[in-house]
Amino acid sequence: MFFALASDKFLSPRNLSLLSIELAVTATLALGMLLVLLPGMIDLSVGSGVGLIGGIASVLVFEHHLPAPLAMAIGLAFAVCIWSLMGKLIIAQRIPAFIITLGGLLVFKGAFWLVIHNSTIPVSAGNTVNLYSLLTTYYFPAWSGYLLFAVIGGLFALAQIRSRRQRRAHGFAVDDFEIGFFKVFIGLQGLLLLVIVMNSFRGIPLSVVILAVIAFLVYVVTRHTPFGRYLYAIGDNEEAAILSGIPIQKVVIGAYALLGAIVAMTGFMQTAYAGASTTTVGDLMELDAIAACVIGGTSLKGGRGTVLGVLFGALIMTSLLNGMTLLAVSPEMKYMARGVVLILAVWMDVAVSKK
Amino acid sequence: MNSESVLAVQTLTKTFPGVVALDGVSFALEAGEVHALCGENGAGKSTLIKVLSGIHPSGSYEGRVLIDGCQVAFQSIADAEAAGIAVIYQELALIGAMTVAENVFLGAEPKRGALIDWHRIYAETRAVLDEYDLALDPTARVADLGIGQQQLVEIVKALAKNSKILLLDEPTAALTEAEVERLLQIVRSLRQRGITCVYISHKLDEVFEIADRITVLRDGESVCTLSAAETEKDEVIRHMVGREIVDFYPRQQVAAGEVLLSVDNLSVEVEGVKVLRDIDLEVRAGEVLGLGGLMGAGRSELLLHILGVYGERTDGAVSINGRLLSGHSPADAIDEGLVLVSEDRKRYGLLLEKTIGFNLSLSSLEQFTARGLIDANREILRNQVFFDSLAIRANGQEALVESLSGGNQQKVVLGKALMTEPQVILLDEPTRGIDVGAKVEVYELINRLTEEGKAVLLVSSELPELMGMSDRMVILSGGHIGGEFARGDASQEQILAAAMAHT
Repeated sequence: MFFALASDKFLSPRNLSLLSIELAVTATLALGMLLVLLPGMIDLSVGSGVGLIGGIASVLVFEHHLPAPLAMAIGLAFAVCIWSLMGKLIIAQRIPAFIITLGGLLVFKGAFWLVIHNSTIPVSAGNTVNLYSLLTTYYFPAWSGYLLFAVIGGLFALAQIRSRRQRRAHGFAVDDFEIGFFKVFIGLQGLLLLVIVMNSFRGIPLSVVILAVIAFLVYVVTRHTPFGRYLYAIGDNEEAAILSGIPIQKVVIGAYALLGAIVAMTGFMQTAYAGASTTTVGDLMELDAIAACVIGGTSLKGGRGTVLGVLFGALIMTSLLNGMTLLAVSPEMKYMARGVVLILAVWMDVAVSKK
Repeated sequence: MNSESVLAVQTLTKTFPGVVALDGVSFALEAGEVHALCGENGAGKSTLIKVLSGIHPSGSYEGRVLIDGCQVAFQSIADAEAAGIAVIYQELALIGAMTVAENVFLGAEPKRGALIDWHRIYAETRAVLDEYDLALDPTARVADLGIGQQQLVEIVKALAKNSKILLLDEPTAALTEAEVERLLQIVRSLRQRGITCVYISHKLDEVFEIADRITVLRDGESVCTLSAAETEKDEVIRHMVGREIVDFYPRQQVAAGEVLLSVDNLSVEVEGVKVLRDIDLEVRAGEVLGLGGLMGAGRSELLLHILGVYGERTDGAVSINGRLLSGHSPADAIDEGLVLVSEDRKRYGLLLEKTIGFNLSLSSLEQFTARGLIDANREILRNQVFFDSLAIRANGQEALVESLSGGNQQKVVLGKALMTEPQVILLDEPTRGIDVGAKVEVYELINRLTEEGKAVLLVSSELPELMGMSDRMVILSGGHIGGEFARGDASQEQILAAAMAHT
């Protein structure tokens, strides 16, 4: 809000479009972080991981001339394996997540520089376009934006109708039809506004759609699957979770594996946004992800946190960084501001937990 | 022995919300005596120690504590230590990586300027050891010492603070026989040097070997003080249990069916120490088997081992409904139809910050999960069945568990266990810390379960409850089976004697 007033560029369609791409990158990573914060773990290595996995894909495309989708698939598979291994070490060997992932931060950073030989590796050869480079440069044309809107709106309304029918079948109370209709209607109005603003620049960025898909999946996983329930249960009381028959090893390793996949997706998007793998890609992104989660009400002790909260937290973090860039705040001050925000967010978390 | 009392407690009453832990306790220590405190679990021994050591500060209890005839009002542990009282707890509070002398002076290091005066630490520790004729090397690392010697370090620590009264809380619980003998030797030599000891133990053999006088506590009251030379073990036991069994145990027996849980010749160890030896028991459909014993006899350990989370099996087998329980996790056990309701519901049972519904369905989510997704409607309906049948008193299943009373929290834990549709239910102290009304509801639930043909293994430290609700009883003692009784076939005295058989 402050930035909207301080810089007239902040709310311009062009900047909102850039902001939405930055948001997609930060929020996607933060959603992954949510999966390991819920069971009371943490991951400090995701920033380095973003660089490394993006770098691996860049090198495969640029130096080994693999097709971009294949290169990205390899990077994704590699990330899932590495993160599963970290999860395994944490839960089976009982090494604190903090230490394992701090080690990971350093190892991945070193490996990243090794992979890209400390140089700049573009995501595509010459000026050609591939799936990799399109991740943050492709915009859905206006008509498809509206089509997308129509499809999502239709699905949303259908889901709502189906849920009402099921509730009624089980004998539960349902909202009045009008209230139900307005809920759907208002949600869709907001979405439509977003589409119109995006279309007034270049259209809906592909990365925003990727974020939407990942957010939806993480939401379903955390709220509507036993796996998600177990994440919350482990974070609330690990010993009770074990005695309740929850296979905590599988659950925690699963959470890290999913995080690995999300780190890979974030790595591709962030590298594509930068246009190339350079030594600084991914720097400090773990802290933005943690800050986004905590601002959004996720507890560092585990057991508490929602997808919507994390999206909100990521919006705050992204606006902060984007706004400071627009106001030409010096990098020195930006670092310090990020640090202060992180501390304030955790302080808030501690204060809330005490209540 | 002169008859002046160095420490006297007069009409001490201490209440916790809903519980009277001490109810007008009085007793006096004579200088230089060894005074034993005896009583069942929950008789008030620990609370008494906490009052004397300043953990429960003056003002939180009624009654008087006198030292050398003067009333004292300890506000903290430091006050009690300054008055010459030191407690040697069962759980030792030593730092393993430090030497004996460092531990002795921990928190009270003599300094020269800003630096620790190491010479004095070692010299003074040596002086205390010599004065009391104790064999211990001040420079040894505590972690390298046996439990018995570590206990000695605690005693030296107390002596170095010029304590005149030592309270030893179950000092021999973790010791081997040889170590016990050595400890008793040390207590005798302390007595010769004028130190007064309060010796708290279940183990009556030791008590009679060492104590000059014995005070018996029961249900928070001091029953009597006896001279050890003029009494018998049986008399002490009689005073320990001598209460009426109130008949609010509505046990309705049903004909026992086939064997659902069988434990054969089970031996379990933890880090090389045997905790359970040669345990044989079986529970039949429709039957309540009571598992009794003193604290530390291995009851909870047995349950946790059956569930797959405690100790290593060196011998024997566990089977459920004739099928060998091979897996080694609670998830496997639940799949085979076995659940545990643990004794510490807050630590091992509940997700306090979650709703009642979240807790109830936690172990049974697969019942309403299709294609990977939980059907929220079916979950709510299923939760409501247990919410209603257990009569959980709360504002709907969306209420947070932390907002419930102890009895209702216990019902949530029971509901979570029962929703898994178990064959065998292990109940560890299911009525601990809940009010009488909720207790009766738990007893009625046990009746209902056995009517449905389930097998119940009930652990209880309350003898009347154990005797009132069990169809048969197995009493553990020091990791062994100390005795087996049919319902109505044993007196409290016999059960207590069985519980002490292997201590």
